[in-house]
Amino acid sequence: MNTVSIDGLGKRYGATPALDGLDLELGTGVTGFLGPNGAGKTTLLRCLATALAPDRGRLRILGLDPAVPAQRTELRRRIGYLPQNPGLYPQFTAYDLLDYVAVLKELTDGRRRRAEVRRVLDEVDLTDRARTKVRKLSGGMRQRLGLALALLGQPALLILDEPTVGIDPEQRMLFRALISRVGESHTVLLSTHQTEDVGALCERVVVMNAGRAAFDGTPRQLINRADGRVWLSTTAPTGSQPYWRNADGLYRRLGDRPDDGRPAQPTLEDGYLLLLHRSAPARVAR
Amino acid sequence: MSGWHVDEGLLADYDRGTLPPSRVLAVDTHLLACASCREQVRVDPVWLTGNWSVVFDALHEPRSGPLHRFLRRLGLPEHRIRLIAATPALRWSWLGATATVLALAVAAAYLGRGGMQVSNAVLLVVAPVLPVLAVATAYGPPADPMHEITDTTPAAGPALVLWRATTVVTVAVVMGVVAAVLLPGPGWYAVAWLLPALLLSVGTLALSTVIALPAAAGVLGGIWLAGVGTAVTIHRDSSLPLVFGRTAQLGYLFAAMTAVVVLTVRRRRLDPGETR
Repeated sequence: MNTVSIDGLGKRYGATPALDGLDLELGTGVTGFLGPNGAGKTTLLRCLATALAPDRGRLRILGLDPAVPAQRTELRRRIGYLPQNPGLYPQFTAYDLLDYVAVLKELTDGRRRRAEVRRVLDEVDLTDRARTKVRKLSGGMRQRLGLALALLGQPALLILDEPTVGIDPEQRMLFRALISRVGESHTVLLSTHQTEDVGALCERVVVMNAGRAAFDGTPRQLINRADGRVWLSTTAPTGSQPYWRNADGLYRRLGDRPDDGRPAQPTLEDGYLLLLHRSAPARVAR
Repeated sequence: MSGWHVDEGLLADYDRGTLPPSRVLAVDTHLLACASCREQVRVDPVWLTGNWSVVFDALHEPRSGPLHRFLRRLGLPEHRIRLIAATPALRWSWLGATATVLALAVAAAYLGRGGMQVSNAVLLVVAPVLPVLAVATAYGPPADPMHEITDTTPAAGPALVLWRATTVVTVAVVMGVVAAVLLPGPGWYAVAWLLPALLLSVGTLALSTVIALPAAAGVLGGIWLAGVGTAVTIHRDSSLPLVFGRTAQLGYLFAAMTAVVVLTVRRRRLDPGETR
């Protein structure tokens, strides 16, 4: 069943279109949004989180229309949102901050609210940091606290904008475990630049480019797009073909087969880069 | 750890809670040091979780300050007190809002006394709204780093702005009163400009327990406009003293206190959106 219906969504910042008539249907599970900077990922997630009103198009989220004030409020009771820059108050303790946001999320019964705060602290493994001020938490701990804020109230839709930025591999594993657990029964929308996260977590991946969905399918389908188009070669290409030099001194080249090329196992990143290279070759960095 | 362990009979009495206090203390002391005896203690997991939760909350909950205790005595629900108490905790927003509200009041008092009759009607109309707008701006995107999270919660919107405005303007009124008492000059006039704003905030919240919040704001705004319109029509040159004179100030104060009483009595109606 679809939890999110996006129909012709458009949003401009001045003359620049951030979303350009986007159509998508999203359901239960973890959906990853990939795309270069400025592709429209954050704008889309902000619209879905009701932080931003689109200029045109229609949204239907959990059966509610966020353009209608009463439905928007009801929707806000059922979503959890971690923005790219959560800007957590540095002078609050982790516990105080969660308690404050829980009040904003209308968890008005004191006993239930405190139980919910304890639950999310435990979920993100920050129970022993409950009394620590935000300014004294490490970057990874702050990200986990941000995730805990989003998890308050057990939202049906979890929207996470680059939640794994700046965290170490061990904490990333914790994030993955937690997000995949939530995604078993809820809808999780995840924007990221990390193709490894998408490969590890998402049943579905949407590649955004210039405000539109350039690809919509499973991670396997995106990998398959690179089948027979990834090569290892001793020479660098001369054209605009994406490539990089491996640690073993060979060039990993995407696209047409070089003269001395031997096939390599494609990855999600290869599929993503080839997709973007085809739609905007100049934007793929070497 | 000693070689002595609590015998089964003693442990059973300890579990049942039938030991005298002195022996409970002795067993407690031993259990703290002896892991093998601790494992023998039968613990009800529900009881243990419940007790752990109480201890955890007692350790981590924000301490109740004088403001918290005062508001609790007034009968405000605990979650509202948390919201009000957090308003000054957002320091830059709080500082900006309070300073702007006080500056507006002083500026309005100055303009009102300066004989600038042309601006009288405009001043009168916007007087109660400006402080609320100032508070909304101070707690908006530039000053509040967490605005994006706050704005996507169900509490976001006019009600949250009005709660914050009530907190800020109340403090500004108190500061204005103290300044008026301590400093020479016509300080009372500045305070007088704040009372309608306080009435608008707290009055709208009180009325929102009866009708929808936008309608409540519309009703109070309409009453204010009608009052100002009448004053300006009847007393063209002396409408300011009429609207901000002593009698009017007492009226605002009385109305604001009535609104606080209504808010307290009807506090259960404040959260109609609560579904969990």
